[in-house]
Amino acid sequence: MSEPASGPPELADLHRALRRVRFEPRPSLGPEIEGRVRRGERVEDRARRLRFLRAAWGLTASAIVAVVAGATWLSHRPVEIDRCCFDLDGGGAADDGVTLLAERDAKVHHLRLYEDHDHSGRYSPGDLIRLDRGDQPSIREDASRGLVITEHCCLDFDGGGPRDDVLLVMGVPPDRVVMAAIYERRSDRHRRQPADAFPLR
Amino acid sequence: MSSAPLPPLPDSRPTSVPVDEAQLLCRKWFEAHGTGVYNYFRFHVPLVDVAEDLTAETFLKVVRAAGRFDPNRGSAKAWILTTARNVLTDWRRRARLRQYVSIGTMHDLVHDAPSPEERLLREEEVGRLLDAVATLEPADREMIGLRYGSGLDTAEMAQLLGISEGNVRTRLWRVLGRLRKVLAR
Repeated sequence: MSEPASGPPELADLHRALRRVRFEPRPSLGPEIEGRVRRGERVEDRARRLRFLRAAWGLTASAIVAVVAGATWLSHRPVEIDRCCFDLDGGGAADDGVTLLAERDAKVHHLRLYEDHDHSGRYSPGDLIRLDRGDQPSIREDASRGLVITEHCCLDFDGGGPRDDVLLVMGVPPDRVVMAAIYERRSDRHRRQPADAFPLR
Repeated sequence: MSSAPLPPLPDSRPTSVPVDEAQLLCRKWFEAHGTGVYNYFRFHVPLVDVAEDLTAETFLKVVRAAGRFDPNRGSAKAWILTTARNVLTDWRRRARLRQYVSIGTMHDLVHDAPSPEERLLREEEVGRLLDAVATLEPADREMIGLRYGSGLDTAEMAQLLGISEGNVRTRLWRVLGRLRKVLAR
């Protein structure tokens, strides 16, 4: 690269300074490129593969997010459960049922005990409601002597899947129910523990 | 840095060449022009890795399209550098949002500094110079990169840019004038 003949003298130093700037590629770069040529590698292949990998990663990540979000939504979505027919009120006949609106293995929003008057095997508008409560297991004020506590085990009362729930009913037989709640049985080791060892829901 | 003579390739030749031939061609072209292409990229991108990637991409492209090269229409050097310019343009488009820091990335700088301190001073000096080049307009940077990076002379630049040699000289001095002002700030 020769010195320009007609250049301004004040730029000559800069010209020389730039000319002195040289970089040396690492010695293995040439053989590396040669190897890629030998393997028949194409730039387009690489770019396409990168694009494909990016797209695949994006899709995988989206799918994981969607599955997790869906599972979370499903697990927190309240489910309606209707279990019939047992002797829940102490009347002797297995004609009582329970309906629950609950989050799986979590909160109970609504619990109702009914007598299956029409023997439909599920709650219907003509059935007699023995107890209707919201999300708190409280005892009705008119509880009196002769109170009988029964535990009904084990069913899936909260939609969690396994039959690990116990329905606790307090009432005065044959037809009064003053409190009902469910709790999770969890494991055999805990089976012998009293019901109040687990939170009532 | 002179352009290596190439065997003439007839027009009827297919676009791609056999692998063995391509490998030899790659070696030959890289030995002759690899450093020039690499320096062209180093004047444009501050990272060694990126300059290496772009150099590799350029040679993969030219070797793959070797069948299209016509020595009657220009030198191999000009052809390879034209490809390098396109590769750089593509990279700029892809890397629009990337930011690079040039500190400590000059281990490939050729120098004759006898001590580490002098080498550091030299790196700082070159870093300052290239940082100033990076502030210029793309067309100005291109002139600097072709002239001082790839080492093209005025005639080769004129051929590559499609302008006259006089025009190349004038533009180059103007660019140097602008660069000097940037450095004086």
